[in-house]
Amino acid sequence: MKKTKRSLAGIAVLGVSALLLSGCSAGGSGGGDDNTLKLWHFESETSAMGIAWDEAIKVFEEETGATVEFEEKSFEQIRSTASQVLNSNEAPDILEYNKGNATAGLLASQGLLSDLDDDYAEYGWDDALAPSLQTTARYDEDGIMGSGAFYGVPNYGEFVEMYYNKDMFAAAGLEVPTTVAELETVMKAFTDQGITPLAESAAEYPLGQLWYQLALSKADRSFVDDYQLYSGDVDWSGPELTYATETIKDWTDAGYISTDASGFKAEDAGTAFINGTYPIFFSGSWWHNRFTTEATGFDWGTFLFPEAEMSPGSAGNMWVIPEKAKNKDLAAQFIDITMRPEIQALIGNNGGIPVAANTEDITDPKSQELIGNFNTLTERDGIAFYPDWPTATFYDELNAGLQELINDTKSPAEVNEQLGGQYQSGVDDIVG
Amino acid sequence: MSTTITVREPAGPATPTGGPAAPARKKKNRSSTTRKTFGDWMILLVAILIGLLIAVPFFLILINSFKSPADYNAAGPLTLPTDLYFDGMVNFWERVNFPEKLWNSFFISSVVAILAVAISLLNAFALGIGRVRGRTWIVLLILLANMLPQEVLLYPLYFMFKTVGLYDNQWAVIIIFVVIQSAFGTYLLASVLGTFPKEILEAASLDGASRWTILYRVVYPITKPTLSVLIIFFFIWTWNEFLIPLTFLVSNASQTVPVSIAVLQGDRLMDVTTTSASALLGLLPTLIFFLIFQRTLTRGITAGAVK
Repeated sequence: MKKTKRSLAGIAVLGVSALLLSGCSAGGSGGGDDNTLKLWHFESETSAMGIAWDEAIKVFEEETGATVEFEEKSFEQIRSTASQVLNSNEAPDILEYNKGNATAGLLASQGLLSDLDDDYAEYGWDDALAPSLQTTARYDEDGIMGSGAFYGVPNYGEFVEMYYNKDMFAAAGLEVPTTVAELETVMKAFTDQGITPLAESAAEYPLGQLWYQLALSKADRSFVDDYQLYSGDVDWSGPELTYATETIKDWTDAGYISTDASGFKAEDAGTAFINGTYPIFFSGSWWHNRFTTEATGFDWGTFLFPEAEMSPGSAGNMWVIPEKAKNKDLAAQFIDITMRPEIQALIGNNGGIPVAANTEDITDPKSQELIGNFNTLTERDGIAFYPDWPTATFYDELNAGLQELINDTKSPAEVNEQLGGQYQSGVDDIVG
Repeated sequence: MSTTITVREPAGPATPTGGPAAPARKKKNRSSTTRKTFGDWMILLVAILIGLLIAVPFFLILINSFKSPADYNAAGPLTLPTDLYFDGMVNFWERVNFPEKLWNSFFISSVVAILAVAISLLNAFALGIGRVRGRTWIVLLILLANMLPQEVLLYPLYFMFKTVGLYDNQWAVIIIFVVIQSAFGTYLLASVLGTFPKEILEAASLDGASRWTILYRVVYPITKPTLSVLIIFFFIWTWNEFLIPLTFLVSNASQTVPVSIAVLQGDRLMDVTTTSASALLGLLPTLIFFLIFQRTLTRGITAGAVK
């Protein structure tokens, strides 16, 4: 009995001390006075955007005399809780948010984001952004991108290109291919040596993006508008998508893509490129920084997919101003600072892709190559977004379809028919 | 209220109760160790194998926590690290201000564990010993808190706590988990107390004990082993919760360890070695907590036995 009292007391003491000490940790909101900018983003402080935005915060504080209350959030937290936070008094004045119909589009249509048309006119941001980069910044009243008012300002871009292992190319006596035929010759040469040329992953986005790139190489802008912006019907037995699916099948049969890829994740494909297992990796500019720091065992380079006017890519995630923000003017001023050439150059020189930089400010040769490829694409209106964007479930459906294709459980025609049905029913739900 | 009692009482009384039980058990154990058959060895072997299988993910976290990214890229996740690499852990520690997250998690989990056990005991006393009419339905109703997926609860809870001004406050998370955990606790304790020996209760009433005294002097000491197991469970469960803390703890300063680990997962890229290091850091406190309380738990069982 006495023992009981003692441990009960122990528990009570623990509880009481926890209650007392809570004073310093609970709460912590506040802010909201006229001279504070509450800012959230989810870039790590060593990334290109993290470095550039850190500088932008300093410039902003100097010029306006306001203080920035910055919190680094996790991508996951912003993704899954934005609609709740932005509808409360805890909403920040400005935050980085995902572009796309299901994210920024949804919040815009719910009235949670501020219409930025006036700010665009005042600061002239639309002159700085290429048209295909503006697509993801505007949303109509249903939250579909491409038209309507501006709701966000992208600071950086991203696109998908070919990464190749220069040492392996040199050892095999191969040149950078400039046509698809040459690309197939290069891949054949590697296969003959017993090396699988393409690092691929069908469990995640990489193979879907290659598939979309193949379709784009036979497509024009109106195909992209039909596919991404629902401006017309997509013909799933037409030349573009038939070519894409059949080529994936042919390349798998020829051994350019390993059938093991059906179980690989993007991370597996990327690390396999870094450790020199595969000489070619077709993937996004988001790998660039990682390859620069981690792929140190060999020399590598990049090139755009040959014989294609367009490639997968888009403007990056963007600044949005919540409707409940307390200091919208300060937020717009901050966005304008991030669009300045010197801040944009910081993004460029640290492995990111600025949307409004002066090319002569970029000094790092690897970054020059990357940004050069991106500018080539935007100049020819070649940013074509990503294959999984049209519907909320198409990412998984596309991966599943392509897995069945390379596992040989379905023929290209069957895969296209299945994907076409899934795409159409998803689009019908959105367009109504 | 009981703090004053602690000061007066020394630790002595645990021994007499533990005394008679312990030697008897020891004798039994000794006789079985001498006669280990082939079957016993096989069972031991299978148990060890299953144990290893369960521990595999933990070993993977352990070896990848101390691996440099270059090493990971070159050799993959399954090999031992070539050098010990601590930068991942140090970076994570500093990036999220780990001690603060540790305290938040500890604070939320311990308050939840204690309050939830207290409420479970009170509920179960009414339902299991008080024999309230329709108690099965009441238990079922309470259990709904456990049975509903948290995703379903999220929006109603969000609107409720926003209205009362507790959004972005640790007390929102504490209140939610006290309810959710005590639902399970009530269910478990109500069935335990349903089989509580009537003779003891009657004897206590004959001695003139009030209901409160019965709860505090009779039921509580005897159910203490179960309560300490519940405390450990509630603490660890609350510690590992992700979705509700993620939603309700908006400010970084109030976030918990699992929520802060999510910072490392980007839009498309992940950092396996740092993520492992952070997982290890997040797991250690629960492991330590369990090991500490495991000892008081076994002591509690002998102390609470009905004689």
